[in-house]
Amino acid sequence: MKSSFLFPRIVAVFSILLSSFFMSSCIKDDVVDDYVNPEIRITSITDSLAIDSTFQSSALYFNNVGEQVEVEVVWTSSNDSVANITNSGLIKGVGIGTCTIYSKYVNGEVEITDSFLIAVSVKVTVMVVTLEKSGTVATTSSYPVSGSYTLEVQGDDLLLTFNADYSADNSLPGLYIFLANNNSTTAGALEIGLVTVFNGVHSYLIPNTGINDYGFILYFCKPFNVKVGQGIIPPN
Amino acid sequence: MAFPSFCGGPWVQKKGKSYFKLSEWWLVFDEHYTSAGLKDPNVTTGVYNTFLYGEYGITNRFTGIVSSALFSRNYMNNLVSGTTGKTIVAGDAVNYLGDTDLGFKYQLSKKDAKVPMALSIVLGLPIGKSAAGDAMNLQTGDGEFNQIIQFDIGKGFTVFKKRQAYYALYGGFNNRSNGFSEEIRFGGEFGIEFFSKKLWVIARVNGIESMKNGATAETVTSTSIFANNSEYISYSVEVNQYFSNKIGLSVGLASALRGEIIAAAPSFSAGIFLDFTK
Repeated sequence: MKSSFLFPRIVAVFSILLSSFFMSSCIKDDVVDDYVNPEIRITSITDSLAIDSTFQSSALYFNNVGEQVEVEVVWTSSNDSVANITNSGLIKGVGIGTCTIYSKYVNGEVEITDSFLIAVSVKVTVMVVTLEKSGTVATTSSYPVSGSYTLEVQGDDLLLTFNADYSADNSLPGLYIFLANNNSTTAGALEIGLVTVFNGVHSYLIPNTGINDYGFILYFCKPFNVKVGQGIIPPN
Repeated sequence: MAFPSFCGGPWVQKKGKSYFKLSEWWLVFDEHYTSAGLKDPNVTTGVYNTFLYGEYGITNRFTGIVSSALFSRNYMNNLVSGTTGKTIVAGDAVNYLGDTDLGFKYQLSKKDAKVPMALSIVLGLPIGKSAAGDAMNLQTGDGEFNQIIQFDIGKGFTVFKKRQAYYALYGGFNNRSNGFSEEIRFGGEFGIEFFSKKLWVIARVNGIESMKNGATAETVTSTSIFANNSEYISYSVEVNQYFSNKIGLSVGLASALRGEIIAAAPSFSAGIFLDFTK
């Protein structure tokens, strides 16, 4: 068979192949299992209160993908003769004793609650509020990430400090650290920044963030959108 | 003993002879080899390259080689919530030129040597984009200038009732710029013909070992197959079928035996070649 006859046919076959390749190179969907249990989280807590003094409490609701959603929270006290609370979360000490403050959201038949204990006395010298949390981060992949951390309130900001036992793999391109309420995705997460320290003590100042605003520390390979490691921020 | 240009090895073109191949190479992966050599998932990523490859005999011992990605597409899928169905991270794509390799192969051994040897120099020109897309995480090139020196040795022989075959081995060194680690490259191949040299089947093993003397993630944020400190040992099979003395089709499949910081999925290629060496 002459090559002048074959060539156009081969080019035609090749063109069809190329076209099919490009059609298969369209952007498709990767589905992520990102369900988390909905949560009410009381973000402003005290363990003690003086009679006739007040404390403003607050709570956030996170839906089934960890997104913060504005909802109507119902506040109640287990004993109104010790402390009562308004619909806006303002607690007032009434009588000596201990009671539980509840924050509740009802979504259909599902009731989601958070609570804390409060002691009311005649005089309170030190009102303890949560100013520090600590925990560990660990790998969720084949890339090493480990170490302990502390999360401290500094005015309106947070200081996240990793301790001397921290280490992370420095071969992974684009490793970022986030605060999140869903440990499967970075959707709605607060990006702290690119990881540039891979061993030892270092810290991140996170502006305008509360210590109870997030439930997880996430290490994500941002270019590939893959979780590399995580740490659970303990609840109050 | 002479071998077609789709065979690797130390064989060079005769003066004025040439070989061209237009091919598509593609790779779609949702896993990658980690720094520990294990497989981890990633957002599905595709790389499609349209290559033009050419060889030309400048002299009987000196062959010029060009391998140019005329078109390169790199895309990443959307990340979609399985709970809400909403897009979490929108996919993205870049379409552009890829990188181009310019090479020169010099035959060290004498004509008709029993074990021919050749030395090659390849310059990898960073023509492609090394950071594209909204997140700057897509690439059609590695953004660095490769300088590869390679030594090839091979031998032709006959097997199975005078069926022509060959083996070839190579070793090379890739000096890289822009903080990328240098690389040691090595490999070997075995090829055999069928149907009076109309069909050639070639099996290859290729390897890259990074010297890991370049930048790390502390300073580099590149990704994909162009990530720094990548390593692999791969195997591949290529079938080349002549339809005439000068025209043929080539198809190939390659996969990794081991790797670090590189895609963990088979790559495919298909192309048409024009052989003006006969």
